[in-house]
Parts: sequence; C-alpha cells; structure tokens
Amino acid sequence: MIQPQTHLNVADNSGARKLMCIRIIGASNRRYAHIGDVIVAVIKEAIPNTPLERSEVIRAVIVRTCKELKRDNGMIIRYDDNAAVVIDQEGNPKGTRIFGAIARELRQLNFTKIVSLAPEVL
Amino acid sequence: MWAALRSQSCSRFSSSSSSQLLRQWKLGFPSFNHTLSSPPPYSSSSAAMSENLGLLELPEVEKILSDVRADNVKVIPAKKHNDWADFMVIATGRSTWHVKQKQKGAKRLVLPSVEGQEGGKWIVIDSGKVVIHALDEKAREYYNLEDLWTSEPSEKEPIRDLEKALVKIRRKNNSKKPAQKRA
Repeated sequence: MIQPQTHLNVADNSGARKLMCIRIIGASNRRYAHIGDVIVAVIKEAIPNTPLERSEVIRAVIVRTCKELKRDNGMIIRYDDNAAVVIDQEGNPKGTRIFGAIARELRQLNFTKIVSLAPEVL
Repeated sequence: MWAALRSQSCSRFSSSSSSQLLRQWKLGFPSFNHTLSSPPPYSSSSAAMSENLGLLELPEVEKILSDVRADNVKVIPAKKHNDWADFMVIATGRSTWHVKQKQKGAKRLVLPSVEGQEGGKWIVIDSGKVVIHALDEKAREYYNLEDLWTSEPSEKEPIRDLEKALVKIRRKNNSKKPAQKRA
C-alpha cells in the first residue's frame, strides 16, 4: 500500500537511496499502489557522485511491499520493507543490478527486464 | 529482426493454445515448471511444451537471429540462476533501427510478450522458457548481462541487504535464548 508521501528504499544500484512517492500512475484518483505499479517519486537521499541527485523527480516500479501480496494458489508474500526500482520513461532500469528478492508477478506485468536482472525470483 | 520472430510464433500461436495455458505460462509457478521440465534442459519434453503453447524454440530463435545478422549472439543456459527461464539469448543490433525493426505487426501478436519496442535500446522477448534480449551496443555494455548470468550464483551485491535481514533475526533469537535456559 504505497501512497503519496510514502518513503521507499531503492533496490538497485542507480545511486538513489531513498524515494518518496508523490503520484501513482495508471488512474486519476487511485489511492494505493502495489507490487508492479509505476509511481512518480522524489529522490530524498542519494549516494554522492552518481548521476541521480537529491530532489530529482523520477519514475519507479514498486518491487517489494510490506503489505502482503496474495496469489491465486493461496501463497502470500510480504517483505520487510517497501522498495522500488528506478526506471526511465521507456521502462529501462536506471541501475544495472537489482538487490534482494523479487516477485514473479513483475514478469506478468511486463517488467521482464527487472526480473532478469534480479538475483532471486520468488 | 523481430518481424521474423514474430511472424514465426504468430503462425504457431494461431494453431493452438487457450487463455488458461497462457496465464500459466506467464506466471510460471514452480510447481508447473517442475512437472513439465524437470529433466535437464534441451530435453524433448520442454521442446514439446513450447510447441504446444506456440512458443519459440531455441534452435529456431538462433536461426532467425543469424538470418537477420544480429551480432554477437550468445546463448546462456540460466537454469541454475533462476527457475523461471531455461535459456537467455543475448544479441546486439547495429543501431536502434536494427534492434527494433519490427513495428509493423506489433498489435497482432499476443504470445511472446515484447517489451521496450519504443526505445529500441533494449528489447526483451519473453517466450516462456527462452528469453531473448536484443540490445544496442551501448546498452549491452552498460547492463553487462553476460556477467550477471555466467558468474557464480552467489553474488556479492545483495549481501548488504542480507546482513540487515540477518541482524533482525539474531536479535529476536538472543532475546528468546535466556528465557529458554531458565525454563
């Protein structure tokens, strides 16, 4: 359940550390975003000397949420943190590597690039 | 180069497969994978499966890629890295136009899902067990996919996050231990 003002970790090596969601993309009046949704976010914290800087506005895909994700077969997945991966307008990830486990629902939602970079797919 | 791939799988797709099968392929739950492709890669069962679903097969993909003169084609068996795909095929196009030369029949095809058509920097064709990546030269260098999949499965980068996770667990265990001893 990500909504505007939610702070998220960054799960890639793009250089950003912390994001804050400012908008959910997809519908005009949507309240919450879940795994696989694209959000607009502000970089709140960044690693020095990287292309991304603090207070820059970027797009990101949510890859992990504390709110549990339910599958049709009864499986429930929930993570310890809210995390997102920084992407550009075309959907290419900004970073080259992704950290941590990622749900395979992302592949279904056409984020195969992110899934193929991930070290572990749940 | 994707026009060729698309037309191939399109012809197959029209002949068979239902929406249910499609969904299963896309989601690729482990149980489903194990039943159908538990024998080592390249076996007849996986080939049969891909034919049933109207997906692309590895030899065919290789042939088409060589036909359109994609440079530096590399096939990586990715079985040990992840359970959702058997083969990663990487190819380089000479220009963005060369990479994405396919806009024509884009809407017709449902099955192998294609990503990144607009940009032409990195196009992924997700055809179930075979995933084809077409990149331009810069993108290929930048993402360095070969390294990711050919190196050892245990990687250094996620360790930072793992350590954090472990610390939490340890704390819990420590708090519990004295209580157990007393009991």
